[in-house]
Amino acid sequence: MASALTDNTSRAPTTYTYTSRPRALPCQRRRYRYSLTQPDEEPMHYGNIMYDRRVIRGNTYALQTGPLLFDFDLEVTPVLEVLVGKTIEQSLLEVMEEEELANLQASQREHEELRNSERAEVQRLEEQERRHREEKERRKKQQWEIVHKHSETSQKIAAQAFAQRYLADLLPSVFGSLRDSGYFYDPIERDIEIGFLPWLMNEVEKTMEYSVVGRTVLDMLIREVVEKRLCMYEHQRDSHPSPEPKDEPGGPKTMRESLGTSEFLEQSMSQTQRLLLDRDDLQRTTYDESLSQERKLMDESELLGQDEETARRESLGKEELS
Amino acid sequence: MELPININAAQVTTAYGHRAVPKLNEELQSEDLQTRQKALMALCGLMHDPEYIYKAMNIGCMENLKALLKDRNSLVRIKTTEVLYITASHSVGRFAFLEHNIVLALSFLLNDPSPVCRRNLYKAYMQLVQVPRGAEEIISKGLISPLVWKLQGEVEEEFQELILDTLVLCLREDATEALNSNVVPILKQKLISTDENIRSKAARALLNVSISHVGKKQVCQFDVIPILVHLLKDPVEHVRCNAAGALMFAMVITEGKYAALEAEAISPLLELLHSPMSVARLYATKALTMLAEAPEGRKVLQAHVPTFRAMEVEPHEKPHMSEALQRAARIAVSVIEFKP
Repeated sequence: MASALTDNTSRAPTTYTYTSRPRALPCQRRRYRYSLTQPDEEPMHYGNIMYDRRVIRGNTYALQTGPLLFDFDLEVTPVLEVLVGKTIEQSLLEVMEEEELANLQASQREHEELRNSERAEVQRLEEQERRHREEKERRKKQQWEIVHKHSETSQKIAAQAFAQRYLADLLPSVFGSLRDSGYFYDPIERDIEIGFLPWLMNEVEKTMEYSVVGRTVLDMLIREVVEKRLCMYEHQRDSHPSPEPKDEPGGPKTMRESLGTSEFLEQSMSQTQRLLLDRDDLQRTTYDESLSQERKLMDESELLGQDEETARRESLGKEELS
Repeated sequence: MELPININAAQVTTAYGHRAVPKLNEELQSEDLQTRQKALMALCGLMHDPEYIYKAMNIGCMENLKALLKDRNSLVRIKTTEVLYITASHSVGRFAFLEHNIVLALSFLLNDPSPVCRRNLYKAYMQLVQVPRGAEEIISKGLISPLVWKLQGEVEEEFQELILDTLVLCLREDATEALNSNVVPILKQKLISTDENIRSKAARALLNVSISHVGKKQVCQFDVIPILVHLLKDPVEHVRCNAAGALMFAMVITEGKYAALEAEAISPLLELLHSPMSVARLYATKALTMLAEAPEGRKVLQAHVPTFRAMEVEPHEKPHMSEALQRAARIAVSVIEFKP
């Protein structure tokens, strides 16, 4: 049997052979255990090759392959590791990405919510502040308007009172000034003033002029008469002194008739003076009388003037003749 | 010996290590369509790692991608947009977007026939606007009006959600352009949509719109407040929350206050005070504070002062939130009890 055993276990390069004498199969089961320490599994001294552990199952040529190529189990581990590892790494990365993203989002959201609520609060306060401010502004504006109106009204009242007082004086003063400048006139008085009085003055002036002119003419007459009388007197004195009394109160008539001596001259002069005086008296008495008298005198003086001229011509003629 | 069959024909062998991206970059520029497609797919896989994105930026991969956006083949475009979407989820990638002016190039694809392409595009934008700088970029390129237009045009609800997400974050930055392009009526329509996400996001968008004064006026003008009050009774929690937030902002101006009072907003808001979401409670408190400024609101709310007092001492796990809640409750009480 040992030889059979050794035959089994030897790995002969030749074909496998196994021979064993037929033997009766012993009772496989032990009736008694020899010892507890004895292992149950004992190498079968003989048995079926199918169940022989020492036989390597597999390819009939397996025994011929030589030394071990590789141990699959050992070799596959790193490969598997890499494969599985990479896959898991990749998936881990992706999952982590998503988790990171989710975490980020969650924290962001929370922060955002807090921020939102704070913002809402801020906005509310702002809004409140704005409303209060607007209200204040409105109230202030109202107040200001009221005050403004008050002041305006008082100013208006004051202005009105002042204007009234001012204008109250105005009317009488206006009327007074108008009256003073003569815008209110009594038409008859006016008419008299405008029409009658100037005419009156004119007439008076004229009359006075007449008298003045008369007087001047008279003066001129008297002067000429006096001169002529002087000449005659000197002439008569030279030729022969013969006084001819000329004693007529009608002064101008005497003069007309003769050319007297110096006495007569004097007389006539005094007479003319008296006449003048008389005339003055006359003038003093009545207006119309003087007027008429002056007219008369004027006529007379005119006549006198004419007659004087004739008298002069006569004298001249006489002188020429003589 | 034959090589084993190529199971994945679309898979290109990426080079090892730091040679990966340059090689892919070259392949992107190749004439062969297949090569380009394979390169793009490989790039998709790589871009999940920010290191590769940085590498790609350095070697000018972005320019190639931009050029590929105008490719005639739709798969190329789809994959390019996907790459860009993945890039945008990292901050490095967003930076790349801004530097290489990719936003504008992407905007040409808004009317792309392929819906997958558009989805990636919206996703890319959505990722971009997570940062304020990205939102600024989108606003400055004048993309808000087209996006609003698309919001109305897109039938797919998923797309609407994505666009709404983008708009929500853009509106937070600057609402003027959106208001000019008539966003409020469109959002009003979306408020009554059947999908709860859309309702919630539309309410959130309105919240952001009504932060600015013009927005508030428009919200009142277009009679959105009654709808928002109606949404306060919505079964979904976050819809209620966002509606309360939108109301909170809209009620700062007097018109909003009286519109809300007319629509009887007080009782739903009071219910919201007991909501499980702390944000909802915060928004509701603030909204009620706004209402308490109006004399009518004050009268009604005087009866509920005890509720607010209880809120003042309420604890919360997050310190910020609990502090905020307590403060809001205190302010509400002080406003309600204010005597002129």
